[in-house]
Amino acid sequence: MGGYGDVQMIDENGIRVDGRGPGDLRPVSIETGVIPVADGSARVIWGTNHAVAAVYGPMECHPRKIQRQDRAVLDVRYNMAPFSTTDRMRPGFNRRSREISKVTADALESVVLLEMYPRCKVRVEIEILCAEAGTRCVGLTAASVALAHAGIPMTDMVVSVASGKINDVVVCDLNKEEDNYGEADLPMGILPNSGELVFLQMDGDLSQAEFQQAWDYNMEAAMVVHQIMVDALKGGDA
Amino acid sequence: MAIPIVPQLLRAHLAELAENDERHDGRARWESRNTELEIGVLRNAEGSAKVRIGDTIVYAGVKFQIMTPYPDRPNQGGLMCSAEIRPVAGPNWEPGPPSPESIELGRVVDRGIRESGCIDVDNLCIIPGEKAWQVILDLFAISDDGNLFDAFALAGIAALKSAMLPEVKFEMSDSDRPLPVSKTPIMCSYHKVGGRFVYDADGREELGGDERIHITLGDDDHVHSLQKGLKGIFTENEFSEIMEHAQSRCKELREMVHNAEEAD
Repeated sequence: MGGYGDVQMIDENGIRVDGRGPGDLRPVSIETGVIPVADGSARVIWGTNHAVAAVYGPMECHPRKIQRQDRAVLDVRYNMAPFSTTDRMRPGFNRRSREISKVTADALESVVLLEMYPRCKVRVEIEILCAEAGTRCVGLTAASVALAHAGIPMTDMVVSVASGKINDVVVCDLNKEEDNYGEADLPMGILPNSGELVFLQMDGDLSQAEFQQAWDYNMEAAMVVHQIMVDALKGGDA
Repeated sequence: MAIPIVPQLLRAHLAELAENDERHDGRARWESRNTELEIGVLRNAEGSAKVRIGDTIVYAGVKFQIMTPYPDRPNQGGLMCSAEIRPVAGPNWEPGPPSPESIELGRVVDRGIRESGCIDVDNLCIIPGEKAWQVILDLFAISDDGNLFDAFALAGIAALKSAMLPEVKFEMSDSDRPLPVSKTPIMCSYHKVGGRFVYDADGREELGGDERIHITLGDDDHVHSLQKGLKGIFTENEFSEIMEHAQSRCKELREMVHNAEEAD
C-alpha cells in the first residue's frame, strides 16, 4: 500500500470521498450472455470497474502435455485492456497479470467439478475493460458467473470482495483513491453458501481487531453480491 | 488463430445457396447485419467506442502519450493503431504474441485512418523537436463472429472523434480539448462466398469462403486504403461492383458516426 497517511479520505462522520459509509459497497450490476460466441459469459460493472469474462469448453485439451487423465484442466487468463487504466497498459502478459491469473485459477479449481471432464480443458478468459480498484475481485466474480452461465458444474460460485483501511478506519470495497493511498487491502474469495474461502491475499498493516472487521465486511458484502449474481443468472440472457 | 477443420460441407452449402442468390442467415447479398455504435463507453480511455455487428462485438479506446517528434518531422505528433484479438473473442483465438491476422487487422485500419488525413498531426505538436502528442488507438475484440475489420474501423474512427486531449492531466492547461478529427473514413469489407462477393460476412461465411477485399473511403468518396486478403482471384468487374456498393454504404455508416457524435 502507499501508506500516505496525510491524504484525508474519510471525514469525521465516516463519509468517504465517494459518499459511501465505511461498510458500503460500490454499485454492482451483472449481466450474462454478453459474449454471444462464448459458451458462457458475464459482464460485471462494479463502481467504474468494467470486466467481461468468457468461458469456452469443456473442449479438447491442447497442448496434450497439460492434459490430465483424471480431470479437466482449467485454463484461466486475467488481462487488462490497453485502454483500461489511466496510463496506457502495454499489451501482453506481465508479472502482475500472471499472478492474478494463477490465484484466480486456484480459487476456481477449488469449486469447479473438474473430475467430471477427464482429459478436457475449460478456458476462462477475464478481460478488464475499465479498471478502478479491486479488478482481481471483479474478474474472479465475473468468471464465476460466466462458468455458471456456461453450465459448468460447481459446488458454489466464488464471490470476491476487498476491504481495507484508510486513515485508520476499516472500510469495505476500496475505491481507487483508497486503494492507492490507503493503509491496507484484504481481498477475499468467499463461497457464500458455506462461508468458506478459496482466495485470500492481503497487504498493508492491520491490527487483529481491524483485520476481523475487514473480514466481517467482506463476508457481509459477499452475500449482497451473491444475490446480484444469482439474479443475473436467473434473469435471462442479454 | 487456430484454423478449424475446413468444413467442406459448409463450403458446399454456401455455394448452393449462392446459386440462388441466398445467404445462410437469410440476408440479401449486400445486406449487413444489425449494426450498433455507442461512444464514450469506457471511462479510463480518453475516447472510446463499442461496435456490435450481429454477434461481433469490439471496443476501441484512445490513449495519449508524450513523444519526441521524429527528427525529419519535428512539428508533428503521431498516430499508433493496434488491434488485439485475445482468446476471449472466440474458441479459435489463442493466447500469445500478436498473430499475423491481428497485425493485418490493425495495419489495414491504421492505413485507412492515417491516409485520410483526418488527424492533423501538426496540431499535435507541443514543443517543436521536443514534445508532441502521440495518439494511441487500441482496437479490442471481445466476440468474433466475422467482419472484425469493419467493426474495428467503425469503432476506431468513432473513438477518435470522441477523444479529448488530456491537457489537465499533463498539466498543460486548465481544460482538456477535443482531438481535432476533420474527416470520417469508413471501411467496407467484402468476402467471396460461394463464388460471389457478399458484404459483411459472418463467421461461418468467413470459414467457408475465399478471398476478402477491404475498401476505406473518405468523406468525398476518395479511396484511402485497399487490402485484398486470403487466397483467391477476382476480376475488374467484381471490383467495380463492390466499389459501387461501398460508396453508398460508407455514406450510411458515416451518418451513423455523426449521429452518435451528436448524441454524445
